[in-house]
Amino acid sequence: MRVHLPTIGLCLIGLLVSAIPGQAANDVVADPAGQVFRLVRAVMCESIEAYEPRYIAVAFPVTAGRISFYTSFDGVTDTTFIEHKWYRRDELITVKRLTLRPPNWATFSSIQLREADKGPWRVEIWDARSELIQTLRFSVIE
Amino acid sequence: MSFLGAIRWQDLVDVLLNSYILFRFYVLFRGTVVLRVLAGIALLWVFQRLAVGMGLIVTSWAMQGIIAGAALIIIIVFRNEIRNVLQAKNLRALLWGVPQKSVSTPIDAIVEAVYDLARKRIGALIVVPGKEDIQEIVQGGVHWDGTVSKEMLISIFWNGNPVHDGAAILQGSRVTRVGGILPLSLRDDLPQRYGTRHRAAAGLAEQTDALVLVVSEERGQAVAAKGNHFIPIQDNLTLKRILAEHLGAAHASPKGRMRESRELAIAAGVCLLCMAGVWFSFAKGMETLISVEVPLEYLNRDPRMQIMSTSVNTLRLHLSGSSVLISSLRPYQVKAKLDLGKASGGMNTFNLSKENIVLPPGLWLNRIEPPEVHVALDMPVNKELPIQVDWVGSLPDGLLLESVSVLPAKIMVVGAQRVLDSISTIYTERVRLDNLQVSGQLTTPLTLDTSGIRILEGSKDRVEVRYTIRRRSP
Repeated sequence: MRVHLPTIGLCLIGLLVSAIPGQAANDVVADPAGQVFRLVRAVMCESIEAYEPRYIAVAFPVTAGRISFYTSFDGVTDTTFIEHKWYRRDELITVKRLTLRPPNWATFSSIQLREADKGPWRVEIWDARSELIQTLRFSVIE
Repeated sequence: MSFLGAIRWQDLVDVLLNSYILFRFYVLFRGTVVLRVLAGIALLWVFQRLAVGMGLIVTSWAMQGIIAGAALIIIIVFRNEIRNVLQAKNLRALLWGVPQKSVSTPIDAIVEAVYDLARKRIGALIVVPGKEDIQEIVQGGVHWDGTVSKEMLISIFWNGNPVHDGAAILQGSRVTRVGGILPLSLRDDLPQRYGTRHRAAAGLAEQTDALVLVVSEERGQAVAAKGNHFIPIQDNLTLKRILAEHLGAAHASPKGRMRESRELAIAAGVCLLCMAGVWFSFAKGMETLISVEVPLEYLNRDPRMQIMSTSVNTLRLHLSGSSVLISSLRPYQVKAKLDLGKASGGMNTFNLSKENIVLPPGLWLNRIEPPEVHVALDMPVNKELPIQVDWVGSLPDGLLLESVSVLPAKIMVVGAQRVLDSISTIYTERVRLDNLQVSGQLTTPLTLDTSGIRILEGSKDRVEVRYTIRRRSP
């Protein structure tokens, strides 16, 4: 795994959240036991405040210093995990494994931005069975 | 002498074939000036090589120029002789047969006529042409088309005849022209007793291979002019022999045939020696080495496959051969080819050998660098890929690019499987954010910066981008 760039600042929090209409992604997936859970929300943001993503956007100035990928799920029946895979262009930068706990759970991963990180990015959400749940695309700008 | 062991069958064929061509040249042009000029040019070539060997720069340069122009000079100056040889003979005669003269000229009639002319002291000038064309040398005269006979010849040179002063030209059994004016010889060593008639005979004999018979009006003596010589005709037998030799009739006898066979055998041997000498002059110096870089051509690729990568595109070949051949080597004469007919998808490794190299004859392959080539082939496939906008620049302070949608969101591209496996997104060209202040839409082209990838025919190479800009809340 290539994690030389950028410096990763990873924060994990467990949050009990409720779905936010309009930003929910209705991807329904199954946990390892075969039970179904649902991706409610997946957004890129500049920060997490009060367990909520703040300054949601798809282009972030490198001066923002740090950005986060926030995801929330419901219908989780058993403790499982997901992965956030961060790519700059098609180069895998880092993979972060995040735990999901029943019944609803929100979690996020963050990266520290540097000058060399400018360009198009994407983050993929993968479940425990290595199935892609969703991809979110954004850019790091000047 | 070590390279004698390396002589190939092609080299033997080479020497024999060219010896035969040289021999045919001799057979077809023997006795003509053309052959003498060719021999002169060959001698010049030998001198030129000697001059090169001795380091005589100007001499070798001048001789090289003369030899280069000689081919053109021969064709222009001897066009009639060349035409005679090529037109008068069929393909078999050109390639195989030894030309045998069918002697149609009535030798006896000429002999008797000359004898009577001399006895009666009637001056005469009779031209019996050889292989060379004399039409351009003999001037004037009257066209005549009479059968050669003793009476005819005597009557032509009878004093009362208006054309008796000129020369009678014979062609086979016909008198074709009478009263012809021959070029006068400029020699100052002719006997005093020889008059204008002798000087004219000498002039034509010097310039052509014709035999000219002269009968002196004053002394009643006959002589034959051939080349630079006058041959006194003592009796009829002498004249008959001279005529027979000139017309080729002498070869009809067993003795003549034997002499001709011996002459041809010697000529064949000389031709073989000459060509062997030329070949050895090329073949010597096998130790001369050269290293050339040539592009490697990939052939017979499965049309469904694409070459994804190759370890090399050029090869360095180490060659040896004659210094003459190596110095005249041109880049296009050396080719390196690799047959991909049996290659399969993925990485293929090929060991290179002399089978992959095309060389001009006489050069030898010592080494190939690198000795093996890796070629990756892959099958082109279609793949639908999402499109992402490549934003650059910066938004004005206080603004956020909240959302973006691309139409179409995905595009079908074609490319090699291995390449496409490593690509998951097609990007737009760079779109600057600096001037965007409110939500809107724009159109931007796509970029395909990976080689071997192209947009599927019929798909648009531009996309519409709709974006939402929001003021950053405190």
